[in-house]
Parts: sequence; structure tokens; C-alpha cells
Amino acid sequence: MQKKSSIHNLFSLISYKEKKEINDFYIPEINEEDKHVQNNSKQSSIKSETTNLSVDADDNNISTIMQANIEYLFKKFNYPVNKDFVMREFLVAGKYKAFIAYIDGMVDRVTINNFILRPLLNFTNLPDMGNDSQLDFLLKNVLETNQAEKVTKPADIVYGILSGNTCLYVDGCSYYLSCETKGFEKRGVETPQTEGLVRGPQEAFNENLRTNVTLIRRLIKDTNLTTEFVKVGKRTNVQCAVVYINGIINPAIVQEVKRRLTGISADLVMGDGMLEQFIEDSSYTVVPTILSTERPDRTASHLLEGRIAIIVDGTPFALIAPVTLHSFMHTPEETFFKWPVGSLIRLIRIFAVFVAALLPALYIGMVGYHTEMIPTDLMIAIISAKENVPFPTVLEVLLMELSFELIREAGVRIPGLIGNTLGIIGALILGQAAVQANIVSPVLIIIVAVTGLGNFAIPNFSVAFAVRIIRFAFIFGAALLGFYGIGLVLVAVIALLSNMKSFGVPFLSITAPKTSTSGDLIFKKPVWKQEKRPDNINPLDVRRQPNISRKWAQEDAESEERKNIDDGRRDEDA
Amino acid sequence: MLKEGKIGLAEAVSITTLLIITKIFYSSTAVVVKKTGTAAWYMTIISFLTSMLLFTLVYILMKRFPGKNIIEIFQIVLGRFIGKSLGLGFSAFILYYSAMSLREFLELLKAYVLPYTPPSLIFASFICVTILLAYLGFEVIARVSYISIYPVLIGLGILLILASTYYKVDNIKPFFGYGLNTTMYNGVMRSSAYAEVMLLAVAMNTLKDTKTFKKAGYISLVFGGAFFSICLLLYVMAFSYTIGSENLSGMFQLSRIIYLSRFVQRVESLFLFIWVISSVVTVSISFYMSMATYCKVFDIPSQKPLVYVFGILLFTLAILPKNLSEVIEIHMIVIRQYSGIWVFGGPIIVLLISLLLRKKGGSIKDEKI
Amino acid sequence: MRKSRLLICLLLFSSLVLSGCNDLIEIDEMIYPLIIGVDIGVENKVRMTLQYPTYKGVTGGAIGGGGEGGGGGGEISKTGELEGTVITTIEASTLLEGVNLLNIAVSRRISLTHTKMLVFSEEFARKGVGEYLAPMMRYRETRRIMHVVVCRGKAEDFIKTNKSTIGASATKSMELMVTQSENSGLFSKETFIDFYHDILSPSQNAITAYAGVNDFNNLSQDEPPDNPPLNEYYNFVPGEVPRKGAAQREFLGTAVFKTDKMVGYLNAHETRYLMMITGKLKRALVSLEDVNKPGYAIVVDKRIGRKPVIKGYFEDGIPVINIKLNMEGDLGAIQSRINYDSMERIEELNRMIEERIKKGVERTIKKVQKEFKSDIFDFGYKFAGYFDTIQEWEEYDWHKHFPEAKINVEVEFNVRRTGVMYGSSPILDSDYEE
Repeated sequence: MQKKSSIHNLFSLISYKEKKEINDFYIPEINEEDKHVQNNSKQSSIKSETTNLSVDADDNNISTIMQANIEYLFKKFNYPVNKDFVMREFLVAGKYKAFIAYIDGMVDRVTINNFILRPLLNFTNLPDMGNDSQLDFLLKNVLETNQAEKVTKPADIVYGILSGNTCLYVDGCSYYLSCETKGFEKRGVETPQTEGLVRGPQEAFNENLRTNVTLIRRLIKDTNLTTEFVKVGKRTNVQCAVVYINGIINPAIVQEVKRRLTGISADLVMGDGMLEQFIEDSSYTVVPTILSTERPDRTASHLLEGRIAIIVDGTPFALIAPVTLHSFMHTPEETFFKWPVGSLIRLIRIFAVFVAALLPALYIGMVGYHTEMIPTDLMIAIISAKENVPFPTVLEVLLMELSFELIREAGVRIPGLIGNTLGIIGALILGQAAVQANIVSPVLIIIVAVTGLGNFAIPNFSVAFAVRIIRFAFIFGAALLGFYGIGLVLVAVIALLSNMKSFGVPFLSITAPKTSTSGDLIFKKPVWKQEKRPDNINPLDVRRQPNISRKWAQEDAESEERKNIDDGRRDEDA
Repeated sequence: MLKEGKIGLAEAVSITTLLIITKIFYSSTAVVVKKTGTAAWYMTIISFLTSMLLFTLVYILMKRFPGKNIIEIFQIVLGRFIGKSLGLGFSAFILYYSAMSLREFLELLKAYVLPYTPPSLIFASFICVTILLAYLGFEVIARVSYISIYPVLIGLGILLILASTYYKVDNIKPFFGYGLNTTMYNGVMRSSAYAEVMLLAVAMNTLKDTKTFKKAGYISLVFGGAFFSICLLLYVMAFSYTIGSENLSGMFQLSRIIYLSRFVQRVESLFLFIWVISSVVTVSISFYMSMATYCKVFDIPSQKPLVYVFGILLFTLAILPKNLSEVIEIHMIVIRQYSGIWVFGGPIIVLLISLLLRKKGGSIKDEKI
Repeated sequence: MRKSRLLICLLLFSSLVLSGCNDLIEIDEMIYPLIIGVDIGVENKVRMTLQYPTYKGVTGGAIGGGGEGGGGGGEISKTGELEGTVITTIEASTLLEGVNLLNIAVSRRISLTHTKMLVFSEEFARKGVGEYLAPMMRYRETRRIMHVVVCRGKAEDFIKTNKSTIGASATKSMELMVTQSENSGLFSKETFIDFYHDILSPSQNAITAYAGVNDFNNLSQDEPPDNPPLNEYYNFVPGEVPRKGAAQREFLGTAVFKTDKMVGYLNAHETRYLMMITGKLKRALVSLEDVNKPGYAIVVDKRIGRKPVIKGYFEDGIPVINIKLNMEGDLGAIQSRINYDSMERIEELNRMIEERIKKGVERTIKKVQKEFKSDIFDFGYKFAGYFDTIQEWEEYDWHKHFPEAKINVEVEFNVRRTGVMYGSSPILDSDYEE
């Protein structure tokens, strides 16, 4: 029996098993849209509210007896062990029992004292009009907070309390009032840390979700800018804002993003980095497929192109999808400069990617396999310098690369701003000493340094990391087979990249498969010539601006024409 | 049905164009010069015109059966048995083509760059990438070929410009090479060098419609023809017919003699990149196509399980020829000179039969009834 | 399941790694001969001499091949060291075998990828070089763009004097030396690929640069005469130029080949005419004797104005070649102080120079037709077009018909600029007389 199974196992290694057909998500063309919208409406049927009264308080029902609710909340928040939870009982208008509950530190005390407790306690003539309507009355007439709403589900009020709201309950009611009293400590809007610009707005997202959404809304004052909230994570219960512009974005993207977000059934989802991993298309790639940015202006421009932004509460980053490789190579800088400057910056950046990925590999290939292409003088210089170095070139390169990575990693971890400076100084000293000790050849120091520079010039940190990893594949290929090996790895990398998808959009699209560009790929057109949105994400509204977006230019031309005609007439008259 | 996805006109053109022009890196240039001497550059135009004509005939066939690929058409016209065996033959031939391209690449690579590396290693590493590409599917291959055609063309352009110090117009005299008859004969036979365009007929399902098929075919043929003609002309101008026929890889040799200054000389190794890239993509395309044909014959829904088996077949076939002379004098002649008879001839006979039997449109299912 | 898959992958991967790197040779595990000399062997077919740089330069980035390590002060040591290079000589049956044979003494692999120059001794070249070129052509490492030189005397001696007198790098000095051909037109330069091409070509014959070793004993020790003659023809063979100092090796003139055998040489003067006809002359500073005032020179900086127009046709079965040269130049000096640069006399000067060039060209072609019977001017191509097919052209055998070709030369010369002077004032003194 045992033997058979082992044979079976052996065969199963080499035999093919039909894989389950996975339904690939893709963005439908606009004319396919109607069907999707219909499906959509079917799914979102409104659930009828539960209105039955009950005595016991549990996860589904709110009791009409205050004590039961108090006990329910105590149990939920692990009171009294949990000291964060605060509950205060009091009498509304001197006769109705009530309590407020909140979490200390998450709320603004002034608001609670002045605008919830004081009106409720000072208020005297409450008309007698049945429990439910009483609370209604309080909501409408007494409470002075800006946001207060009825909550009929215990889970919602628990979440409200967790996120800094104050819960008000009046005895005999079957629902809570949730008053907005969020007042926790937060960072102000500061300058971007990793995406700094020379020219352009200097503000970045912070950890507060509301602030972040507001920052975007301030840039796009459009009624169609829609924000939806989705809770993610079973225990962390992080609030995610899904921001998009209705009427531009393809609804399928919104639906897919929401489907993926609600489909996460994990304990802990912290921040955008984790969320990205939960919702991205392909996990087994080094290159990210969702763009993470800390700039509101960049987010806004992507929204206007028809993409979606996901902002997670508690992180100063917005996730943008679907994106292509090109988006990772862009920064807002190019848009703020004139187009020739922008194009040049991008060319330099592409060059940087090639340098960062290929330079050490090319050096190995050249020195190990293709010596004929090095100019003779240079070659003899390299050899003379290398004469006393005992290591083979590959080992030298790996040694230097590793120590460079080490310095970089150490530089990040060293506290304070001196970290980076220290790292660079360390690198120089290390390099100089290594050369003098005949451990590496001096040319190699230059190679590694330029490679590092190229890596720093890549605008996106995640892509820079990916390039660092890919570089080692190239080094391996070069050491094994020279330029031939590099060529093979290159083709494989291109193939894997073009196989990737970001929310149904091929990762290299616009280039391959070829779609019409928005005039903003590598070479930028002047801003007024970028008339269309990128076609690869199938936006509902393809046109960004009319063919003639500079009306005044047309007017100039017309007036010139008129003038000419007038002149002509005058000549004729004369 | 095999799931292949859809590709656009640009990708279709780049696939066939890349397949056609990759030959310029191999022994093809020198062989043509050896056969036709100074007339090589317009001999290829004769080949190009011939293949245009043949392709038009195939297009007429494809038009009679809109939306069907050539394997399905075989089955509709000739019946299931003969149709399938013809399709199988196609699959075998494409695999042979793929293996011989790989072998020729290996021979040149070993001759010029890696003389001591064991062939099996070069094969293995090459086939690994080929398998990866074939596994990822046709859409990915199309995208890769579309991306890689730019560096290949730009690199070749730069090479031809850098070598311009060697061009001497006098080298193309006498104008008629080894006589007009030789030129004509070779021209017509060498139309096989453009037979790769027939892969579009196999991949018909991925194209939008028959019109795209026609467009992609004609564009890549015209492009390939112009490209070959220019390359051969410049090649003969640089080397003349005497040593032009001696080189193993004409274009590679051209890159080796580049000398502009003390620092810009011998850029052959950079040239190696475009050579490797175009070869990998070419072999991958034909490798995939062979499997796709096989899948279409036997109605296999995915090429993925076949990848490893065909990979081993490719390896075995490629390692079969004994030596370089056999590769160049038998296999390359078969592929570049006689394959057209079979690749173009098969479909054209099918066209004649379908005209005789008045078969049109329809599908395999109709045929069963 | 997963583990065993991983294992298989790992095994395949390691087999890849273990079998790879066959062609990986560390750059410093090889030596790169810069120059290969070929002489006739005594005990075997050829005697070849290689010169390659040493790596004894100071570490830490300094240019290698510094003078420190070489045999003291320009002299060759017993181990063949010469100013940062090593020179070795060996006898072998073929060139490639010779390279391989050297492995018995040289501690690193020999790579011909950086060879800059191939030197044949004249003796060897006159016996025919074809059989020795073939392996060089077939071998993958040899540079097609190395220069081919024929030297008087032994190639070994030539290489022994090949050292850089200016900078530390022997490579640089060799590469720059060859480009001097363009600055003076005094010797031809021919790359290996062109040389090989020309040998096989049915329409032309091959040339190479002609070189020799100067032992610095050629400067005459006699008392100078009262009035030394103006010798405008620089009729020396390499190695016998009256000069002193600088490098001992010198390039002068052109070695002429018929098929793969050397048949003679052109001197510096004739080489310039050859380069005029083939359109390669970039610049040549020439002193011409003034017809109106013998003994005085006119210095002209000549260059090709337009590409020479050469037309060939058959007249009664005899090939006729029309050469139209369009040259131009700048005045370097007019020693006689005659105002040739004025509008009236400039044409006179032009005619004078045209006549010289015409005569020189005709004489050079005659000499080549008569003595060498070898078409080094690439005239054959002008007639290839008259034949339809390659077979007919090869059957006609241009090499046989070249000597009987009729040559018509037409020269147009224009003095374009006159240097930084315009006109020259006479020296006014009654004592001053030519």
C-alpha cells in the first residue's frame, strides 16, 4: 500500500493535473458596460432594518433596558480590566436614565463636556412622547455636536466607540445615538518624506483618514468625487476609503476593488503595505502592481485619469490602481516643468533603471567573456589594478554589492538624519580601504557606486527594491554565460513583466499590448496637447479636454485672420 | 479550444516581422551571397514578390472561411483524418523549424562567442526561457516580441550606420551576379525565407478578423523584404561577393569590423544582445506555434501540459545534427529553400480543392453531420 | 510533494551552475599581444614574434605598462622585456600553433583579441602570405581591423624597436602611429579585412603599409655643400631616412602585392599619388620647386577637394581609364616671395601645381602597370559593370588586362586659402639676390 502511494506520488510529480479555471478579471470596454451595471444593481439590494424590540442585549439586538446594554458593552470592551473604556451614567433632564460611553484618548473631552453632557443635563422640559421619539427629540433639539446619528446595530455602535465616537443611550430606547467626538492626537499636514519635489505642492498625506480624503477633495472640487468606506481586518477593523470619480472611472474597477476589499478575511490588516498584498493580482512578483503615494496631487491626477485610490486609515499613503509600469516611472515633477524638461527627466530615469539593473552584470560579462570590446588602454589599466586582487571578478562584484546593500540598510536603521551621511562616508572609506588593501579593484568601486546612484534615481521605492533584486539575477546570468546569459534573463524578465496584471490591466500595456497613449508616456506632450485619458483602463469618458483646450490661441488666430481680411478690404478700398 | 487571447495588429506584425528578419543574423546572408553573388539584394525582392503572391492565395483561402484558423480549414475541406494529419505535419514542421533555428543559433554562438561552453548548457538555458515564454502563452509572446522588435531594429540600424565606412558602391558590380536565371531560380525558391508569415494563419483566432490577417501579413512581408534587400545590399557593398560568401554570420562579421575611432570599435558584443533577444523570441514563437498547432489538431484546451514534453523534443531535435556543415547545407537549405513548397503549397492545394468542391464558411461541427 | 519539486529544481539549477562558466576567463588571466610579427622560419615554416604588455604598473588605478618594470632604459632584457611589454619569438608551422606553443613558457593564456598590427617581413611577403592569412581569418579571436604592415628586414627586429617614446602606453602609440597616415599621406594604411578582401578580389590588388627600422646612421657626415639641392621627391625606403631621434621604427611608402605575393613598393611620393587616386588623401604638405625661380620652394597643404571621378570604358577592346582629380589646398609658404596669391597669378600657380600632380600620377600609374602589373588603384571596379555576370568578369581576368589599360589624367587644383598672409612684400636690399 505504502509502495503504491509512493509510486503514485512519483507519477503525480510528472503528470499534469488540470488546473481550475480561474476567472481572470478584466476591465470591460465601455460598450460592454450596460450589462455590468445591471449586475451591480442586483447585488446591492437594500436589507430591511430589524425593528423588533427585545429585552436581552446581544450582538444582534439592542435591549430596551439600560442595564442590559451597559452589561453588553462592559462585556464587549472587557471592562473593568480595560481601563480605556469610560462609561458615565446620568439623568437626562433630571428624570431619564442615560449613559454615555467612549474610549479615553480617542475623543475630544471638550466636545463631550460642553456639547453633549451640558445640554443634556441642563435641559429641563422634555416632552413625554414615547421612548424612541424621545431620543429623536434629543437628537434634533438638544445635542450640539455636528454629527450624530441613530445606530440600530450593536456592532455599529461598538465600531463607533472604537473609532472615537461617543455613544449615548437613553433608557427604554432600542437604539443608540452615536455622536462624532473624534479627538485623538494626530500629525499635521507636512511635506512629503519620500516623494519630494523641486516644484509643486509640498504637502503629503498624514495618518488621519479624514484629513487625507479632504486633501484630495480640496484639489478636485467636483460633485462626482465619491468616497466609500470599507472596513478591513477582523480585529483591527481598519477603515478604508475608496475614492474615485464617478463618470470617469470604469465602474467595473470600483466593483472589483470593493469585492477584493470586502473579501479579505484576515485578522490584521495594518496600513497600505499589508492591504496591497491582500488585494494585488500576483503575489509572486518582485515588482509592485499597485502604486503607493503620499502625495495628494499625484493621487488626484490619477483619479482624474480614471483610476481608483484606496486610503487606509492610519497610514500616510494612498494606494492607486490599476497602474502600469509607466506610472511607477513618473513623478508629478515632470508635469510641473515644461515638456522638454519633463521628457529629459524621464529619459534619465529610464537610463537609471538600466544602469541600476544591468551595470554590474555588464561589467562581469565584459571582463569575463567579452574583453575585445574594452578599449585596450582601459583594459590594461583594469588588469594592472586587478593584478594583486586575489578574488575572481564575480566574487568581487558580489562582495561590493553586498557591502553596499549593508551600508544602505544600516544607513536606514541608524537613528537620525546623520544616518545617510554616515552611510555614504562609510561607503567611501570602505571602498578606498578595500582598494588599498587589494581586495577589490578600483574600477569596481566606480561601477558599484554608479549602480547605487542609478538605484536612487528610480522614483518609486518599491520598484527600486525590485530592481535591486533583479540585478542579482542579471549578475548570475552574466557570470554563467556572459552577455548571452544577460540576454536570456532580459527576455525572461520582459516576459514575466508583460504577464503581470494590475486589476485586469496588463502591466506593460500602452506599450504592449499597444493602446493609444495620453501623450504622457515617456516623452511628454505639452499639457494642452494631452487630450485623452489613457486607454488601457477603459475610462467612461476618454476625452480629458477638447482638441482645442487653449481657446485664447484660437481667438488669437481668428482675430489675426479677421485683421488680415480687414486689411485686405482696406487695400481693396484704397 | 485553445485559449490564446487576442492580439492587435501591431503585435501580429511584430511577431511575423521578427520571425522573418531574425534570419539576417544567421548564416542566411552569406549563403545567399554565395548563391547569387552581387545579385543578392534584388534576389530577395523576387522572393518577396513570390511570397506576396503565395500569401495572397492563402488569404483568399482564409477569406472563404472567416474566423477559422488554417488547421480548422484543413479539416473542413479535407475531412477530419487528412485535415488532422496535415495539421500534425504542420506542427512537426514548425517544431523542426524551431529546433533548427536554435541549432543554428548555437553553432554561431559557439563559433563567435562561447567556444568552450558545452552545447547542452546553452541549449538548456535557452530552452528554459523558451519554455517560460511558451508557458505564459501567446499574448505574452506577442507582447515580448512587440517590445523587443524596437531594440532589434534600432540596434541593427546603428550597426549598419557604424559600418558605413566600409560601403563601396562598386562592390555590387557586375550587376547580374551569377546570371539572371540563377537569380530568378534562387529568388523563387528562397520565398521560403518569408514563409513564416503563414504562422498568422495558424494564429488566426487571436486576430480580430481576416482583414487584420491580410494587413499584418502584407505589412510584415513588405517590411521584411525591404529590410532584407537593404541589409544584403549593404553587406555586399561592405564585403563584396568574394569574402561575403565566406562569413559564417554576415551581420555579426560586419559588426566585428566596425572601427570609428580608438574608442568606438568592435561593438560586436553589444550587438550580441539584439541577436540573443531576437533569437529567443523567434524560437519561442515557433515553439509555441508548434504546440498550438498540435493543440488545435487534437482539441486540447491548454498548451501548458505540453510545454515540458515539447521542450524535451526541441532539445532532442536540436542536438541531432552532427556538425555545422550538416546544419547549414541540409537543414537550413530545407527550411529556407524548400519549406515554402510545403508551407505555402499545402494551403494552396486546399484552396484549389475547396474551390472545386465549392466549400465555404461553415465549421467543423457542420462537417460532422 | 512540494519539497521534492524544489529538490528537482535545485538539482537542475546546480547542474546549470556547475557546468557553466566554461568560457569565463578572468581578464587578468590572459595576455593580449599587441603586435604579431611573421618571419620565415629556419627549422619550421614561420618564426613569429609577439609583443604584449605586462601588468607591472603601480596598483591603485595607475596606467599599466609603466616603464618601471621593463628592462632598464629602453634596452631589451634577456627575458624580452621592453618598457612595460614583453617580446617573445617562437618558430612554428602555423601562426595559430605558434600562439599555442608559447603556452609552454608564458604563464597566462594568449588572447589575440587586442592585436593591433600584423607585421610581415619583406622576405616573407615576397614568398606569399595567403596560406598564413587563412587561419588568422578563420580564428574567432583575431581582430579584423588590425593593421597589416610589411617591413624591410626582419619583423622581429621591427618589433624590438616598437616602443612608445612619448607616453607609457605602447598601445596608444601604435594606434596613433597608424593614423599618422592620414596626416601626411606618406604611407598607406590597410586593415586586415581590407587586405584579405583585396587579395581575393578579381577587381583590385592589395597594398599594405611599408615600414623599416632606422639605425640612425643615415644622416650624412659630409660637410654640407654651398647650395644644397631642393629635392622635392622624397625618394627613400623606410629605414634609410636621414634622421635621428624618436622611435627607430618608421613607416614610409606602400608595399604592393600581386595576388598574395609582394612585388614591390611605392615610395612616399608615389604613395601620395596613390592615395589621391583612391581618394584617401586627407592632408599632405608638399614642397614644390618654383618654376619661375628654381631653387625656391612653394609649400602647399594639399587635400582632396571632391572625390576623384574615375571612369572606365572599352575602346576597341582596350580598357581606357579617365581620371579626374579635383584637389584643393592652402598655401604654406612662397619662398620666392612672388605674389602668387593675387587674383592674376593664382591661376598660374594652380596650373603649375596641376601639372606636377598630373605628371606624378601618370608616372606612378605607369610604374605600377609596368613593374608590378598589379591594380592597386581599384580601377577594376569601373570595368566590372560592363560585364553582366560574375562568371564573365572573372573569365575576362582583369589582372591580366590591367597593364595594357590606357590612362587619361585630368587634374584640377585650386588654392583656396593663403594662410594668414595675403601677398608678400619683397625684401628690398640691393645685396639680396637669389
